[in-house]
Amino acid sequence: MASSMKGTRMSEKKKTSRKAGGGRAPKSLATYLDQIRDDPAEFRTVSRTVNPMNFDVTGLLGVLNLRREYPTVQFNNPLDMHGKPSKFPIVANLWGTRERCAEMVGLKRSEAGVRLGTLLCERIDRKQKPVVIPGRAAPVQQNVLTGKKADLWMFPVVRHFEMDLGGVMLMGLIAKPPREDFYNITFVKVFPEAPQRAGLTVHTLHMSRILREWEARKERCRVAYVLGHHPAFWLGTLNNTPWGDNEYATCGGFLQEPVRLTPSVSWGKDFLVPADAEIVIEGEILPGERTVVNPFGDISTQYQAQQLGPVMVPKAVTYRDGAIYQDIFSGHREHMLLGSIPREGTIYNQLKHKMGNVTAVHMPYSGCARFTAYVSIKKTEEGQAKTAGLQALAHVPNLNAVVVVDDTVNVFNEEEVLWAVNFQVEPRRDITVIENMRPTSDPRAMGAARVIIDATRPTHIAFPTKLKVPQSAMDRVKLDEWLDPVKGGAR
Amino acid sequence: MSGGMRLWWSTCPKCKKEFVVAWELRHAQYKLICPFCDHRYLPEQSAKIDERHTE
Repeated sequence: MASSMKGTRMSEKKKTSRKAGGGRAPKSLATYLDQIRDDPAEFRTVSRTVNPMNFDVTGLLGVLNLRREYPTVQFNNPLDMHGKPSKFPIVANLWGTRERCAEMVGLKRSEAGVRLGTLLCERIDRKQKPVVIPGRAAPVQQNVLTGKKADLWMFPVVRHFEMDLGGVMLMGLIAKPPREDFYNITFVKVFPEAPQRAGLTVHTLHMSRILREWEARKERCRVAYVLGHHPAFWLGTLNNTPWGDNEYATCGGFLQEPVRLTPSVSWGKDFLVPADAEIVIEGEILPGERTVVNPFGDISTQYQAQQLGPVMVPKAVTYRDGAIYQDIFSGHREHMLLGSIPREGTIYNQLKHKMGNVTAVHMPYSGCARFTAYVSIKKTEEGQAKTAGLQALAHVPNLNAVVVVDDTVNVFNEEEVLWAVNFQVEPRRDITVIENMRPTSDPRAMGAARVIIDATRPTHIAFPTKLKVPQSAMDRVKLDEWLDPVKGGAR
Repeated sequence: MSGGMRLWWSTCPKCKKEFVVAWELRHAQYKLICPFCDHRYLPEQSAKIDERHTE
């Protein structure tokens, strides 16, 4: 029975996190889950049968979200798209809190603020060359299915929101351009419209360019779709690295160990796949062919409109023993944090190199952690805020708005940021609208326009300043001694 | 809108529920797929079309 197999699997998984001989196992989704599975605040399981196509998964995650609880949740007994018990448990909500994201990359929970973004930025430059291992040693090829057995409906694909077209896979697509030897890894939505055929939506510049180049040659684009890996691997895929960057090497920097690769089942050494992934779908994108995809509730917490997308056909499905199917609770905390933290680091890094006076960057939940950035700078002259805003917009294409504040404002406290907007912005001078930028693919009101708001305190005119209690006065207060005890003993 | 994606809403002729569609499918000869009942139909067969748009 599926349930007993999965119950056994949990204990076996702990064993498999250690290599025979006592060495540390290569990082994978399982080794990460072993770190959190004993903490109920971070990891919960659901053993009852759930139907992901009937919103059972997002229903539970939605209730937790309303309670402001964000544990990683493992659904041990989901149904697959055929309506049969799936052999793959689902794990979702991996990146639900900044503190958990900090621990994923080796930081303390107390370093989940600005340090988290800057650390990820540093990791971009600490690339680690991947290593190649033979297929017989690659966990992800412990099970290989080809031909009709490479069935996309064998997975417990999640239908997330009520207007979604259907179940959608939400993990990463790997592809190479036709004439260059590097791998791009991008989160791509896969709509399995039939067991052997799926529509895709692709939103990033580099992956779109790769697909265009293959299509111009009228050739099929080889791809690997990865359903599950260590969360730090995924954080490595989300940075605005230049064209030509081998993202396997970048992911190694984030994992702090080389990504292990193995020749694909379909194309051998010509296309390498991650050896420690949970599940890999090897497939081909058909040139010139389109199918209907969407609506889908995406990062902006709105539905993306029904549109046309490219078509992928599977050639092989490979998975490790006891593989877990990874999903993302789209449009919610984990989705927001997954993308925002690397982008915060990207903006911080650019401003640090170009201007030197940036003190913090935060992409708040109110902007879905994608479309608005709060940047604090140590301003020394007028105009610096607008320059900082332009730099941020130039390096993070999806940004709608940048609000620049003084370093006295905590960008992680939205109340402080909006105070600065309310009391330090003169709209005609301090709000700059930039028109005719690249139109976004999301249904956002701002479309191709961008906004920079300089909410720093003006220094070129006599201007009020914010009140404050003397710090020395607050430092000498000892609350326990100064406040009278509350009757009944409680303070 | 300021150059953003143009949208329209189609009402499914079968279940009468409406869903959001990109403009590229407004006049294309692709059948829409109703996300609520899986009915497939051409855009002109929509029970109702809302294509209001601000230039």
